[in-house]
Amino acid sequence: MSPRWRPDFWSGVLVVALAVVAVLMVWPLYNIFSASVIDNRSGALTVANFAQILGRPAYQGALINSLIVGVGGMLGATLLGVPLAMLTTRFVIKGRDLLATLAVLALVSPPFIGAYAWIMMLGSNGWMRALLADIGIELPPIYGMFGILLVFSLKFYPFVFLLTASGLGAISPSVEEAAESLGAGPWRRFFKVTLPLVFPAVSSGALLAFVLSIADFGTPSIVGGKVRLLATTAFDLFTAEMGGNPGLASATSVVLIAVSMAVVVLQRWAVRRRDIAGSLIRRPSPQRLGPIISAAAHFVCYAIVVAGSLPSLVVIYTSFRKTSGPVFHPGFSLDSYARILGEVPHVIVNSFAFSTGAVLLIVILGTLIGYILARRETLAAGALDSVLLVPYIVPGVVMGLAFVVTFNVPPLQITGTAAIIILMLFIRRLPYAVRSSAAILKQIKGSIEEAAISLGARPGRAFLKVTLPLMLPGVIAGALMGFITAINELSSSLILYVGRTMTMPVRIYLSVLDGQFGTASALATILLAATGLAVFVVFRISDRKESVFV
Amino acid sequence: MARVELRHINKRYPGVQALDDIDLDIESGEFFTLLGPSGCGKTTLLRTVAGFNRQDSGEVRVAGERIDGMPAYRRNIGLVFQDYAIFPHMTVGDNVAFGLRNRGRPRQEIAERVARALDLVRLGAHAARLPHQLSGGQQQRVGLARAVVIEPQILLMDEPLSNLDAKLRIELRDDIRDLQRSLGITTIYVTHDQEEALVISDRICVMQGGRVHQVGTPWEVYARPATLFVASFVGAMNVIADLRVGAGGALALGLASRLAPVLAGRDCVTLAIRLEDMTVAGTSEDVPSDALALDGAVDKVTFAGREAFYRVQLDDGPQILAHVHRPERRLLERTGARVRLILPLANVHLFDPALGRRIEAVS
Ligand SMILES: Nc1ncnc2c1ncn2[C@@H]1O[C@H](COP(=O)(O)OP(=O)(O)OP(=O)(O)O)[C@@H](O)[C@H]1O
Ligand SMILES: [Mg+2]
Repeated sequence: MSPRWRPDFWSGVLVVALAVVAVLMVWPLYNIFSASVIDNRSGALTVANFAQILGRPAYQGALINSLIVGVGGMLGATLLGVPLAMLTTRFVIKGRDLLATLAVLALVSPPFIGAYAWIMMLGSNGWMRALLADIGIELPPIYGMFGILLVFSLKFYPFVFLLTASGLGAISPSVEEAAESLGAGPWRRFFKVTLPLVFPAVSSGALLAFVLSIADFGTPSIVGGKVRLLATTAFDLFTAEMGGNPGLASATSVVLIAVSMAVVVLQRWAVRRRDIAGSLIRRPSPQRLGPIISAAAHFVCYAIVVAGSLPSLVVIYTSFRKTSGPVFHPGFSLDSYARILGEVPHVIVNSFAFSTGAVLLIVILGTLIGYILARRETLAAGALDSVLLVPYIVPGVVMGLAFVVTFNVPPLQITGTAAIIILMLFIRRLPYAVRSSAAILKQIKGSIEEAAISLGARPGRAFLKVTLPLMLPGVIAGALMGFITAINELSSSLILYVGRTMTMPVRIYLSVLDGQFGTASALATILLAATGLAVFVVFRISDRKESVFV
Repeated sequence: MARVELRHINKRYPGVQALDDIDLDIESGEFFTLLGPSGCGKTTLLRTVAGFNRQDSGEVRVAGERIDGMPAYRRNIGLVFQDYAIFPHMTVGDNVAFGLRNRGRPRQEIAERVARALDLVRLGAHAARLPHQLSGGQQQRVGLARAVVIEPQILLMDEPLSNLDAKLRIELRDDIRDLQRSLGITTIYVTHDQEEALVISDRICVMQGGRVHQVGTPWEVYARPATLFVASFVGAMNVIADLRVGAGGALALGLASRLAPVLAGRDCVTLAIRLEDMTVAGTSEDVPSDALALDGAVDKVTFAGREAFYRVQLDDGPQILAHVHRPERRLLERTGARVRLILPLANVHLFDPALGRRIEAVS
């Protein structure tokens, strides 16, 4: 930096950004950490909460179950995602774009929709289970660990698929041909050359699956039956009838964060020195397969993708069925839609309003912070960059708890307002917008802006006239992505909502617990439609297509 | 048009002194080139003048006015970039008009000046095109038009030709030179290509490690290199390092020498001679009194069409490369033959081995 510090537009932005992050992220999380080591009554420093989690069988069980869910969801997603990626990039598979689009749609639809759709199919009264029973296949209802893992595997495989596919697309075919000419057979080539090269991509997809699996709250509480996890335990401890146990809830949250963080570190370590930037002269071209193998490959690809999309289809179908209360009748109607419009119109309005508000904030601040991170190398910018990693590993439940603890007392008493939900959505999704705008900026040469400045444009004008127009498609895509995740957010809203500020995901969740599948499906269909529309627009304006979503 | 004065400019990056007390005067209307190897600080110096990085100490004056405290957008300086830095979302015409719009010029005037600038770089017909519809050479000409249309006091160019292929590079090099002459604009040009620097410049400043080694006309830099570094960086040079000087200034190498007076009192000297500055003769050839002669055997002959190179293993140790203009066929089959290299003293460069400074051999 120059010895003489001259405050300009960008230093102002930096100060605002640091303040926002401090108030909305560092402070709430600090409160959770301090609550976890403080005795509820005496206020003395204690490790008793952690001792309980690690010592008492019920909490131990939750920790172990969370690890099983994380590892299981990760393995399931990898086992579906990697073969799909291999097949679609290496061989001629018809409808590759359709497969990718369906995978993206499965990815962006909220996970709790998957959970209750599978209950409608394979639950105690599930129609698919009944069908299978008719032909002699008796399945137990899916409640429990199996159900959770099924939903997570089918929900998170697109991360692994899309990341691995783009990783495979970046491997020069010459490398594999070289291995072949040196005498490596197909299997040896795959394990010795291809796999090590895509490992970073596969593992970052797997990492996402793990972190999201242990953070998810809706799925285990809908389909998990008696299985207790850290996320559900923290929620229950906090919201329990008798005033809850904030100390223990906080300690559970801290353990949850620690597990996520450990896995992130592990993955970073596993891919160390593996950032292989190849120069691609030739793109790999897919090979044709013999008719039988080709049919098998098509079957595998479509089976995975259809299974992943099945919940959405079931939900849409269900929303149009005739119902009276929880009971379905033969035939179709718009009853469910009439009911939600009559009973909870404000829920729909809230969802759109909160998400839009959050996205506006995210876009403005995210773009500006992204600029600072990409173009200014200062200590403060570096600190901001690392702090912004935090929301990636803090589950929504934990962030929701942190917000309640922090903002239910003066000076910032905003619990029960729309503001707290908007700010929550904002801070949870801000890092994604920052990352994406920083990534776009890295592609725009800095000299372009310097050219503008040398031609007499002030820094602010240079940004507006030259940099921003070039960033715009990326910014819009990022905004839509933010919108999709914001409108589908369940876990933190569930902690922060009051009747007036209820959102669609919360209403769906409550309806499902009540067995009101008709209204749940109608609301979920609206969510899916909004999400699908946003995805469509992203596809239209972005040339990176699917890779925008991971 | 303006004189540029750089006074004692220093800039330190962590672990490297990027600019070490740079003190230069650039005359009004001059084409001044900064030449040096990668990492020697050329870009850093240029960006200091442009206002994109701030020196730790020192002054920059343009037309007598101190500008080093001024933000970049207020300095009236045209900049041409290595990667063109054309605004990809604006037409060619809008690119060129950008600087004038920042200055709030009237519409009519902008239109006229843009048209004139585009004609100057022979792109008059392309004003409505988008940059991606232009070739690299055309894009750089837009960059040039955009920089000169604002009538800057000085024009700065950082390796503007290095992204172009060889043929275009020569074409555009001549365009830049002509444009600069016709506008009479003070220009600082950065390159690491010594041939480009020799062709295009009024004066060249050779830099290394953040320091100025020599400032001079192309002829001075080529024919009278001030330091051993300049000698070996500009053009090809044979260097015989740390040659022992005997009692009374006799060289350890070669035959008769009139160098004794200059060398008296030294025990070591570094000698350099250009490939084309010596003649290859038979061993019986007489040695003129104002020349140095070195005997050896031809080690390798490299034929390159209109010229050839002999690598000669000298009897006294080092190898020397000699250039033969328009080689004859019989001369190409002389591997192993004994030859005598005759080095006219006027062409021999001597350097102090410790300091690298030039020692004037013949007055
Ligand atoms: N922003 C920076 N931070 C740290 N060091 C820098 C920075 N910019 C340049 N340097 C260092 O300063 C020295 C001079 O760099 P500069 O870019 O001026 O070289 P150059 O002569 O333009 O080289 P090239 O011909 O490769 O463009 C180099 O050692 C470089 O590593
Ligand atoms: Mg440079």
